[in-house]
Amino acid sequence: MIEVRGLERRFGEVVAVDGVSFTAGDGRITGLLGPNGAGKTTTLRTLYGLLRPDAGAVAVDGVDAVADPLAVQRLIGVLPDAHGLYVRLTAREHLRYVGELHALDAATIASSIERLVSLLDMSEIIDRRVEGFSTGERMKVAVGRALVHDPPNLLLDEPTSGLDVMSTRAMRTLIRELKDEGKCVLFSSHVMQEVSALCDDIVIIARGRAIAHGTPAELCQRAGEEDLEEAFVRIIGTDEGLQ
Amino acid sequence: MNRRRREFGAQVRAVCRKELSDALRDRRSLLSALLYPLIMPLMVAVMFGAMSRVLSSDRPLEAPVAGREHAPNLVAWLEERGVVVEDPPADPEAAVRDGDVDLVLIIDEEYGEQFRSVQPAVVRIVHDSSRTASETSVRRVRNLLRGYSSQVAVLRLIARGVSPGVIQAVRVDDLDLATPAQSAARIFAMLPMFLIMVAFVGGMHVAIDTTAGERERQSLEPLLVNPVSRAALTTGKWIATCLFGLVATLLTLVVFVLMMRFVPLEELGMQLGLGTRQLLLMSIAVAPLALFASAVQMFVATFARSFKEAQTYVSLLIFVPIVPSVALQIYPLQPTGWMMLVPALSHHLLLVDVMGGEPVTALSLLTSAVAATLLAVLLLFLTSRLLQQEKIVFGRG
Repeated sequence: MIEVRGLERRFGEVVAVDGVSFTAGDGRITGLLGPNGAGKTTTLRTLYGLLRPDAGAVAVDGVDAVADPLAVQRLIGVLPDAHGLYVRLTAREHLRYVGELHALDAATIASSIERLVSLLDMSEIIDRRVEGFSTGERMKVAVGRALVHDPPNLLLDEPTSGLDVMSTRAMRTLIRELKDEGKCVLFSSHVMQEVSALCDDIVIIARGRAIAHGTPAELCQRAGEEDLEEAFVRIIGTDEGLQ
Repeated sequence: MNRRRREFGAQVRAVCRKELSDALRDRRSLLSALLYPLIMPLMVAVMFGAMSRVLSSDRPLEAPVAGREHAPNLVAWLEERGVVVEDPPADPEAAVRDGDVDLVLIIDEEYGEQFRSVQPAVVRIVHDSSRTASETSVRRVRNLLRGYSSQVAVLRLIARGVSPGVIQAVRVDDLDLATPAQSAARIFAMLPMFLIMVAFVGGMHVAIDTTAGERERQSLEPLLVNPVSRAALTTGKWIATCLFGLVATLLTLVVFVLMMRFVPLEELGMQLGLGTRQLLLMSIAVAPLALFASAVQMFVATFARSFKEAQTYVSLLIFVPIVPSVALQIYPLQPTGWMMLVPALSHHLLLVDVMGGEPVTALSLLTSAVAATLLAVLLLFLTSRLLQQEKIVFGRG
């Protein structure tokens, strides 16, 4: 479970996050939806411990991410905004590296990699060097890195950006499977179809504020619209930056 | 606490192993570790090879002589002194200009007439003074001719009842105090400087690639989302960098010693007394410098805004440690205690002493090693502090 309470963060004069609060529950898919620059990445970065909030609290399964970032990092798997790979290493070496950084033993790492090879359909590429991988193949390795230690919570920053139709479908299937395993999945997106197709809960973020939070049905009801898309536009007040 | 420590150790090993396999597959990292160590020994070998060819006086002197029939006595005298008198080329000047021969000796028809009438008899040496390769031969021929000339002159004076001392107002005697070991040492003075440079250059690319490169490739953020302390990351990367620096430094020493076997040192009147004990001492003396060099390069590269900027800073940085080496060759200093605390300076002094066969105290070795290692640890601490900063992690625009 991921809890964010009154999160604020400024970069110099710019207020990136201005009082965001929401809860993402276990066994549910929660989507952070908002236009570019709304504060989604900043919110996620404070959750995985790379940015310090100016005010507010962020916690994962009850552990404070500011006070004990390393403890939180054990409980989460992250696909960060930047997900560069090491071109001279193989896919397997990437996954093993993460397992070792999580101080898992060799047997656990090996069985975890086997599980991921079938989950992400990586048998063709697992022992190839990453150099020359397609965007979809690179994304598989990056997502695999987030899952090696089988974390109960997942933070995915724009997981489908740059992917083709087939890879996007595979990613959606994966996210649903993770939910079915009882994990708490939090992902950010600026693609409305993405969010409406997947999410149990939606948090709409604009200009650093969480302006609406609820199930798709609740959001439609609140906006007085039948269609989710119309509800978004009405809630944000503009369709700028949304696709 | 115990579990924490075990985890720290396992993480350091994981980071180190990953960086090593990454670097070993990287041509640029390998080049900077393996190519530079070969440069100095090769340079020295080429230099010595050229020198020994130029200086060598054991080689029989070959001299084409034109008009030998005009001065049979002179030619016989030259042959007596080991000169191989050859037939002259058809066009002496062209042959010298083209470098076919070092020189041609020309004895004119009037030689006999001039000699008999006690006039200076003319012998011409055709040579090209811009060619250093022929310098030795020309000098040897000229000395031989001068010797013949004064021998004949002395005989003539005695025949006329004059003491030969009359024509020698001043006699110059050379007393060269340079021992062969010293002249060798002067040339090998480059070795400490080179070892110091290689300690830096060997790990240079790994230091940049694991810090500035990690950020530039956008792999720093995914690395930092793992539950690993910045200290474990920095330490693992540092050990990998150190290994490259150490291998390069030791390789330089080994290649240098191997190369020395193929250089005709004795021909140059030199001897280099680098025994196993001295090699071992030199390795022990210079190894801690690689630890310091790796740490300082990683710190600078972490601070740099980009990969390119890191490369610029780090390659400029390499000139700092050779400043003491260059300065000490111009202003030799008596080593004093505090100098053992300064990396590069202390290493230069230790290396020079070991090579010169001077006694090196265990205290100096220990002081130099501890100082360099402590400074490295301090720099590691500062680097891991830098990695805590959001501006360093996400870059400064």
